[in-house]
Amino acid sequence: MSYPQIAVVFGIAISLIVLAISTAVYSKSSFSDQNSSKLNTFGGHTPGYPTLQTTGDVLDPTSLVINPKNAVVDPMKYLREFNYGKLSTSSNGTLIRDFTMIASDQLTKEVSPGVFYNVWTFNGTIPGPTLRATEGDTIRITLINNGSKFHSIHFHGIHPSEMDGVFEGIAPGGKFIYQFTAEPFGVFPYHCHMQPLEEHITHGLYGALIIDPKKPRASADEMVMLMNGYDTDFDTENNFYTVNGIPYYYMHHPIQIDKNRLIRIYLLNMLEFDPLNNFHLHANMFDFYKTGTKLIPDEYTDIVTMNQGERGTLEFSYKYPGKYMFHAHKTEFAEKGWTGLFLVKEGTNQSINENLNVTSISNITNYSTTDFNKTTGLVPTGGVN
Amino acid sequence: MEIEEGNTSNTRKISKRTILFGVIPFIVIGAMIVLLLNSSGILFQSSIKPLPEISIEKVEFLENNMIVAFVRNTGPSEITIAQADVNDRIYPAAVEPGRTLTRLADAKVIIPFVWNTGEPYGIGITTDDGTRFDKSVNSAAAAPRPTVGQASTFALIGTYVGIIPVMMGLVWYPFIRRLSPNKYNFFLSLTAGLLVFLGIDALLESNEIAVDNLAPAFNAQILIIMVAIITLISLLYVSQRLIQRASKRSKPDVEIEYKKGYSSNSEPDLGTRDMKSTSTSFQQQLLIRPIAISMMISIGIGLHNFGEGLAIGAAVLLGEVALSSFLILGFTLHNTTEGLAIVAPMAKSRRIPVAKLIIMGLIAGGPTILGAWIGGFLYSPIATVIFLSIGAGAIFQVVYSIGSWMYHTNGSRGLLNNHWIIIGFAFGMFIMYLTGLLV
Repeated sequence: MSYPQIAVVFGIAISLIVLAISTAVYSKSSFSDQNSSKLNTFGGHTPGYPTLQTTGDVLDPTSLVINPKNAVVDPMKYLREFNYGKLSTSSNGTLIRDFTMIASDQLTKEVSPGVFYNVWTFNGTIPGPTLRATEGDTIRITLINNGSKFHSIHFHGIHPSEMDGVFEGIAPGGKFIYQFTAEPFGVFPYHCHMQPLEEHITHGLYGALIIDPKKPRASADEMVMLMNGYDTDFDTENNFYTVNGIPYYYMHHPIQIDKNRLIRIYLLNMLEFDPLNNFHLHANMFDFYKTGTKLIPDEYTDIVTMNQGERGTLEFSYKYPGKYMFHAHKTEFAEKGWTGLFLVKEGTNQSINENLNVTSISNITNYSTTDFNKTTGLVPTGGVN
Repeated sequence: MEIEEGNTSNTRKISKRTILFGVIPFIVIGAMIVLLLNSSGILFQSSIKPLPEISIEKVEFLENNMIVAFVRNTGPSEITIAQADVNDRIYPAAVEPGRTLTRLADAKVIIPFVWNTGEPYGIGITTDDGTRFDKSVNSAAAAPRPTVGQASTFALIGTYVGIIPVMMGLVWYPFIRRLSPNKYNFFLSLTAGLLVFLGIDALLESNEIAVDNLAPAFNAQILIIMVAIITLISLLYVSQRLIQRASKRSKPDVEIEYKKGYSSNSEPDLGTRDMKSTSTSFQQQLLIRPIAISMMISIGIGLHNFGEGLAIGAAVLLGEVALSSFLILGFTLHNTTEGLAIVAPMAKSRRIPVAKLIIMGLIAGGPTILGAWIGGFLYSPIATVIFLSIGAGAIFQVVYSIGSWMYHTNGSRGLLNNHWIIIGFAFGMFIMYLTGLLV
């Protein structure tokens, strides 16, 4: 063979090898698309972003719903579910509220669409159940530890040392009864206080305790919002941020509220790792009652920032119907799940706000709830109480 | 021959036992495989799920506001992709062909995202157990599409970087031919120095790609050494065969010309030791070898330039470099020395036809274009690593050939007590280092 011949053969050989390798490596990703017939649509939530079709699977926590069987919580149920306990009266006439809490640490639940995490829970959900009592009642909580580790419940509020859930850990299979007087009125977190504390809290052992003043607050559409996060890869940084347990849940299931109806939110921050978290309400302002321990608002604002364990009460009502966002104004958290929507509807249940000039806005927003659903295409679930 | 036959008949006698001993290990291992695979969870029960692992091999930025990440499951077990993010912020995405990947399977994650040219991005993929894997891109740039325009751009780059500099180096051929033996040795060893530098450079570069873009599951670093060694020994074998075959068929007039030259040559450079043992065939080798060495250098440099082309194309695709005229100029200067490497061994042989020189130049420089196309349009880190390693092996084979050529032509003086050779070698590496600073 002469050199030119060798050169040609060699060149062809190189090309063939390269083609073979590149084809082998990319065959799956490049050619497999053509066979499948089903098409899923994704994207398009944000103005300017394309809506696309794919033959593959869609990854989208802002629109996908977790199968309720696997979900760590039903955020719509949690939102307005208050547990008042089993009532009885003591010999001296005090109202006793009995609660049962079961701690477990071996469940694996879906915390964001497609993401499974070993959750530690009170009564099987994150956040745990919202307990509610009136100032002066006796609260009696039976804690059953079904987990594999020591657990306890530490309540914020005023109570004796031995009811503080710090020095008495409950062994696996054990049981303990916490009993104390509900005082003062306000919003309180409860959480496990076993070591390592951060681990027990971030895995999900927390919830809200609401103590109402003896003279009830004004009637309102009340809800609990507990801000948390999940560090699913254990690098002491949260991968997901939520309000009420599942990222973006209220984006695809907006919270329906009535126009002009007083809304009261009991807001708590149980986020670990990040020192701050906050709540921002769109197109509105709210009265903020720090820790919920006073009846006079501390602030009239649209953002409240909370450190770990801080909480408060928010009161507002919407003047105009429509969709309104609420989210962490720490925008990183907002873009990792802590974002939701209110869907304000023309109320059927009128509670008239004296300050509001209803006629002046009626011509702008004069359409019914059904019309609104047609225009947005949203089919919200979960009802207004 | 008789003894061998005796041996074979002897083994035939005990063949049944031999077969039995040969087969037993396979039976035992087979039984173990069956037992372990079927009894999973009985013999070695473990509640710990193996850790997932994903490699994001490539990230492409598309003009129509999309980012596409090419991911591969490089962990020990099947995984399911749950979410995608850009700069650690979760975005809706699609994964094709599907979110569940078997071991070593790959998928394309498509994220609609309005990205900005020139900005760094981190692309993250979260698996169903909540583990996040990410890859950062230094500077987002629109991925080259395989259009005629883009292909011609790559071809132009390949021409500037590969063909022109190699051809320029070849132009020095007449100059090299007129050198005295010492200066000739100097240039030969300079060539060896250039090539050693290129070889080491290729190994380091493939190592870098292996570490950055390939999962440990591929054992890519071992693969580099393995491929380089296999290339080296295969090419040594090929070049020996090439020389043998060429010397058998070598043209008589050339032979005479050479014999004349050789017999009249009173230089003590050629060792008598070689003369005695190899006689005529060695004389023929001495004639043919320079051209064969040059040919092998062309092929070696061709493979190297193919790898370089892959790297250039991939760098453009991955947004790692903004292709600038300065960068191309640097590559051009750097590669001019490669042409020199091709012509140096032929300086003392008969005149080489220009056409043959051009073919050698094309073999050495042309693959740059092919490499740039493949690297830019079909980037595959594993292919790049393999080709750079092949290039390194090819280059070390050439260094070996030059070394043995110089050893034979230097005869009893050896290699290392000739200061021209040492200086040339050092100088060759230095030239590469200095021109390399431009790249």
